[in-house]
Amino acid sequence: MTPLDQVILFVVDLLALLAVYLIINIGLNMQQGIAGIPNFGIVFAVAGGAYITGGLSTRLAVSLLGVRTNLDPIFNNVAVLASVNPILRSQPLTAIVLLILFLMIGGMAGALMGLISSAPAIRLREDYLAITLLAFGEVLNVIGIGYKPLIGGPIGVSVPDIFGWAGEYRFYLGTLVLLLVAIAIFAFAGYIIKTPFGRTLKAIRDNEIVARSLGKNITQYRTSAILFGSLLCGIAGSLWVLYSGAVTPTYARFDWTFLPWLMILLGGMGNNRGVFVGSLIFVTLNKLIIYYKFEFVGILPFDIVWLNYLLLGIITIFILIYRPEGIVQERWTAPKQDLSAADRST
Amino acid sequence: MQVKDVKRSFGNLRALDGVTLNVDEKTVTILIGPNGSGKTTLINVITGFQKPDEGHIHYGSTEITAWSPQQIYRTGIARTFQIPSMFGKLTVLENLLVAEKNHPGESFRKSLLKRLWAKHERDAVEKASRILQLLGLSEQRNTPASLLSGGQMKLVEIGRALMSDANLYLLDEPVSGVNPTLAHEIFARIIGLKEQFGITFFIVEHRLDIALKYVDYVNVMASGRLIAAGTPEQVINDPKVIEAYLGA
Repeated sequence: MTPLDQVILFVVDLLALLAVYLIINIGLNMQQGIAGIPNFGIVFAVAGGAYITGGLSTRLAVSLLGVRTNLDPIFNNVAVLASVNPILRSQPLTAIVLLILFLMIGGMAGALMGLISSAPAIRLREDYLAITLLAFGEVLNVIGIGYKPLIGGPIGVSVPDIFGWAGEYRFYLGTLVLLLVAIAIFAFAGYIIKTPFGRTLKAIRDNEIVARSLGKNITQYRTSAILFGSLLCGIAGSLWVLYSGAVTPTYARFDWTFLPWLMILLGGMGNNRGVFVGSLIFVTLNKLIIYYKFEFVGILPFDIVWLNYLLLGIITIFILIYRPEGIVQERWTAPKQDLSAADRST
Repeated sequence: MQVKDVKRSFGNLRALDGVTLNVDEKTVTILIGPNGSGKTTLINVITGFQKPDEGHIHYGSTEITAWSPQQIYRTGIARTFQIPSMFGKLTVLENLLVAEKNHPGESFRKSLLKRLWAKHERDAVEKASRILQLLGLSEQRNTPASLLSGGQMKLVEIGRALMSDANLYLLDEPVSGVNPTLAHEIFARIIGLKEQFGITFFIVEHRLDIALKYVDYVNVMASGRLIAAGTPEQVINDPKVIEAYLGA
């Protein structure tokens, strides 16, 4: 592999992970940054999207593509996919339709997980809600490991190769799709934040009691924010499974809750530009360390496996001491319309 | 509005001990009383933030006892708070827009299509602009609410309440912490709103030196009970009031 190939591989890998984290972080920002809901259990929605995609995608592909087999799509996963993937490689349009279907299912699964995890405590104060959401964090991993028909237990399952029709450019195409979805979600979430719905969420975040006095149904708005944010997390989980081609019950709270929190803290909560900046900086630093940490063997006075954790610690301390509002602070936004016209009419 | 024999206790403390009072339409009525006499608790009970242990509250012919704050707001009763409470990261204009009732864009589903709410939003901005002008806050419309002075925050609270098009406004100490000139201005505007739009105000206030000259009726509370009610002249000459409050 030439140095140029290595750089391209690094960038493609980086962009794919950035896209997935950006979607998750936008989902988290809708909940914590905009609506003030401290969701410490977003891994529940991410894993929900991932596991449902893992559990249903092969079954659905077998059914929709008319593959005749008596084999179980989960327990004989490799053999079944050996029949499914050649069809997908020869029918790009079918693969694209399946991709959209899987993303919709993943998103709905994420939204459902968000609803389930928040239901017991949505009427409670923020701190109780946070504790409940934290407790839900790793429930799905336990189910994923223990209930083998879902994703095959500890060893996991492969999923239909939706991007296989691109041949040797499979990962480039996958990354491009991830980026396009992330950009679309970035724009859509930006629009939602600027609507009266987004304004009401911010109002509830800033002062729940006054919002109640102004007739706002707090439970309903919080539920909407959790549903929307979790739907995005579910889509991200589904995308990651389809991109990486497999799913295992290893969706840990560290990677899929703690890191997103760190990224939005770093970039700045309450605005998507901050979320993008935080995601970009963190994912790039993280990837650089993963790729080049072996260069530091013998130089650093500790084992290089700790480099990542040190980075997290340093970033956390840096944010809390020097920039508690994050790198990009939330802007005050006036409604976008001809305000001068309104003035003239008064 | 009629409040009839309302009781509310917190543990052994009886904050409201059978309060009965009327607020007539198109009047400005104030509620006075020493600290801890139960004034804010009464406002909280009327607006649904606390439930009464006993008693009834009627608004017009409708019984609103123990309704939720959302229901109370929708029925046409708006309130402000003793301590100015802002949506700190929203601008002054946005603070008012949040108070708009039945805004289609506040529903997630309808917010997806701008054409479903854009006209309502334009109308709401125009209404908010008129209110800001009325309250002398036009220059601060795009200022973050958290950067306002205490007096300006009080005005924003009143502005927010006015956005609701309510018929009855419950204002909890609207001029506390406000300089005398601005306090007189606020009361003058309240009177203007009453006369121009026929709005009813029920105001908790300590600053009698300022408030008494503007109001139609005065209610006096002490130890959770209503001890006097009437015109300002009647009340300030009432021996019970002098003993419990004014003479203190």
